[in-house]
Amino acid sequence: MTTIQIAFLLLLSFSFIVILGFIYKVWKVALFADGGPNPSFSRLAKLGRLPAERVEISRWAAYFHRVSGFAIFAFLSLHIIDISTIAFSHGAYDSLHAIYSTWPMRLFECGLLFALVFHTLNGIRLIIVDAFDVGVRKSNIFLRVLLIFSIITTLGGSFVILQPVFN
Amino acid sequence: MNTKKTSRSFISHRLSYIALRTTGLLLAVLALGHFLITHIVNDVAATDSSFVISRWSSTIWVVWDVLLLTSALIHAFAGLAVVVHDYSKNQKSRVWTLRLLSIFVMSLLIIGLLVMAVSLYRIYGTGA
Repeated sequence: MTTIQIAFLLLLSFSFIVILGFIYKVWKVALFADGGPNPSFSRLAKLGRLPAERVEISRWAAYFHRVSGFAIFAFLSLHIIDISTIAFSHGAYDSLHAIYSTWPMRLFECGLLFALVFHTLNGIRLIIVDAFDVGVRKSNIFLRVLLIFSIITTLGGSFVILQPVFN
Repeated sequence: MNTKKTSRSFISHRLSYIALRTTGLLLAVLALGHFLITHIVNDVAATDSSFVISRWSSTIWVVWDVLLLTSALIHAFAGLAVVVHDYSKNQKSRVWTLRLLSIFVMSLLIIGLLVMAVSLYRIYGTGA
């Protein structure tokens, strides 16, 4: 372990803490502002509704859009800083970059892929909803389709990303 | 209420709305393309310093990475401005959070562009 690798891992752990803090903030504000402080039976009863009738799924999408966007930005900041070592020495960059191909980092990359794909597709859905007359029902169908699509894409991508771990 | 100030804030909201959507559409291609090339097409272990330098030897990837860097940071700032607008307690904390955030994002942009410039100088500028 070189000093630069330890510095990278410290910054990475710091970003995880910041992301968790952000999730806590979103969670707290959501509980306070979007429908009461405690989960209740009436809320559980909503789960029995038909998928097409469940409007609040778009609210969950908004929370996840916010959290995934923040997480991607946290990683982007770290990524810009770690790439910048290439301006100082190629050796430093390569020793830092070796962390990216370890299995925990590869797992993290699979999560990043899901966040990226979901955030992109949901963002496109929001643009479509703003620009055209879509309506709640179609918008929710888009949401379900893009959710399934991002899960499938992530599973496919993870298979490729994690391949070297099993070989 | 100061109408001049209000209309200016409306214009900046409008601009940030448009910037968020435009950069978002750009990133749909640039960011996913970047991930596709560095993790799916090539294995991440292969993307070492020689990979980065050979990629920055072609103009299209330099343009790609500069566009990706700037649009990602504009997108992040505009998106986080909405979040700050939602979560800050009062006007004063909102202004200060946005000020700190813009300093952070600007310094990331400067670091990114400087690193590109230094690497490009090493590739082309030596004259060797």
